[in-house]
Amino acid sequence: MSKRTLPRLLQTPAVLLLLVWMLVPLGMTLYFSFIRYVLNSLRRPEWTTPSLSNWRGFGNYEFVLKSKDFILAIQNSLLIVCSILFLTVILGVLIAVLINRAFPGRGFVRVLLISPFFVMPAVNAVLWINMILDPVLGLQGIAVGGINDLVDGLRNAPLIGWFFSLWPELEPISFRATQTSALAVIIMVTWQWTPFAILIFMTSLQSEDQQQKEAAVLDGASAWSQFRFLTLPHLGRPIAIVVMIQAIFHLSLYAEIEIVSRGNGNKNLPYLIGEFANNNIGAASATGIFAVILANIVAIFLLRMIGKTLME
Amino acid sequence: MGRISLENVTKTFGTVEVIPPLNLTIEDGEFAVFVGPSGCGKSTLLRLIAGLEETTSGRILIDDQDMTEVPPSKRGLAMVFQSYALYPHMTVRKNIAFPMRMAGIDEAEQEKRINAAAAALNLTDYLERKPGQLSGGQRQRVAIGRAIVRDPSAFLFDEPLSNLDAALRVGMRIEISEMHNRMATTMIYVTHDQVEAMTMADKIVVLQAGVIEQVGSPLDLYHRPRNKFVAGFIGSPTMNFITGEEATKRGADTIGIRPEHTEVSTTEGMWKGTVGVAEHLGSDTFIHVHDTGLAETFTVRISGDIAVRHGDTVYLTPQPDQIHKFGADGLRIE
Repeated sequence: MSKRTLPRLLQTPAVLLLLVWMLVPLGMTLYFSFIRYVLNSLRRPEWTTPSLSNWRGFGNYEFVLKSKDFILAIQNSLLIVCSILFLTVILGVLIAVLINRAFPGRGFVRVLLISPFFVMPAVNAVLWINMILDPVLGLQGIAVGGINDLVDGLRNAPLIGWFFSLWPELEPISFRATQTSALAVIIMVTWQWTPFAILIFMTSLQSEDQQQKEAAVLDGASAWSQFRFLTLPHLGRPIAIVVMIQAIFHLSLYAEIEIVSRGNGNKNLPYLIGEFANNNIGAASATGIFAVILANIVAIFLLRMIGKTLME
Repeated sequence: MGRISLENVTKTFGTVEVIPPLNLTIEDGEFAVFVGPSGCGKSTLLRLIAGLEETTSGRILIDDQDMTEVPPSKRGLAMVFQSYALYPHMTVRKNIAFPMRMAGIDEAEQEKRINAAAAALNLTDYLERKPGQLSGGQRQRVAIGRAIVRDPSAFLFDEPLSNLDAALRVGMRIEISEMHNRMATTMIYVTHDQVEAMTMADKIVVLQAGVIEQVGSPLDLYHRPRNKFVAGFIGSPTMNFITGEEATKRGADTIGIRPEHTEVSTTEGMWKGTVGVAEHLGSDTFIHVHDTGLAETFTVRISGDIAVRHGDTVYLTPQPDQIHKFGADGLRIE
């Protein structure tokens, strides 16, 4: 046995397991996407068992491409992922820098800041949509009502009343509506995942070399220049990590969308797969393949972008 | 110009007084070395001068201008750190350009100064590399280059050679000394290594627990240490201290004899002892002598070689005019 054979032999089970882990689901998805396969059909009972005799070619793909929700799902997938990434990275950097300084009660504040991350996604969605964003019973409704009452009261005040009578009555926003349900998802997921970004950025900031900062102070760098030329490049790698991990997670959002609007006006690819999978496994599989392609495009795009701007 | 004066400067961290009231003047063009054991406040003192720490009380004057409240970047000083503190994601060129970029100096002038500094420091071939791709000595030179281009009134060095290996340290020591001779700018250098202090300084400031023990030229400190601490700190191997009968006989509480001021003989001498360890360096030999009845070990240094081994009996005779006498308060007795 040569020197290389034994290590390779020892690696084999792990490699095989991983291959099977990946290839079997992918293979099955590919197979189902090319055949007619439904869970329940009274008219064509032969379609309810997967078989090569039900071959449909690219028919499932055509069906998915022509379905009215497909473009919406792609757009929404991208909109939701990009918005969340943008917001969590910016908020994460700002808050991490803010709490990096020593202040009384810092440990407590940090625990509070991290805690949203430990809330289950479904619970998070229920809490936000019912208790905060609800236009009548939620914080939003109460706040809008309160402002309206206040403005109403001021309309009758002497001297300044005329100014407030120019103000319009505020309307609370219904976040379950077709136009706004994606916004609700973005808000709640950003709230939940900003702590993750903060956590990663905070640990990275702690490893920042203080002597570099002192050197920069002596070199005449302002606080902004220090942030721009030292802290931000130092955070380049952690930002890349946060973006990659979050992109993977948020492309597969499901619970929030289901709870906010049951897909009304707001579907992403996983949600579309779920809808097809109620009966049409073939179409669901074809959508799955589209999702794999989209994920790869996003991954390549993100890697390029991050590589260029941050890892200079 | 770069004349730096400290007037009654103090520094306390919380309730701990790190530097009790301290007065010191460093003349323009002088190479001053702050030396002392770790924790003696020498780095704190340097950071006070740089403005990285605020003084608790007292004044810091640079060229007779009160700089106590002036922010670090406006003091006209440049500092070289122990860890080099280079900006890791910038090339050497950008690192050196950074202070000029912050000061808003125009590109052509920046380029001119970078090239001049790079040529002086042998960095021309490395300008496009990043700090991670350089050796320790090269990084140190980049840090110095970044300091030079600012054309400061004084350079501050905070243990700049501690992270280098022994051979490189000797080389950089000479480079910095040459740089000082060429530029004739005030330099303040902090180190715990008395060899660096002795070889580079015009003026050594020996510190212990924030208090200046003695200020003087290297040879001044070597020949006329003001107290036992300075006597023990300056010189390598360290001075032998003898208390008891031999000291009282000479009218002192403690006498100090440097290892190199002792004659060694295998046949006759004033004190008799047994050889513990003999360190043969070729040019010199250090012999640690036990059982002399004077101190636990008595170290002697002789130039050249001597044929003694572990367990041999040797006789030691101090040079009578090179015995330092110290009183019960630790101060030197003339």
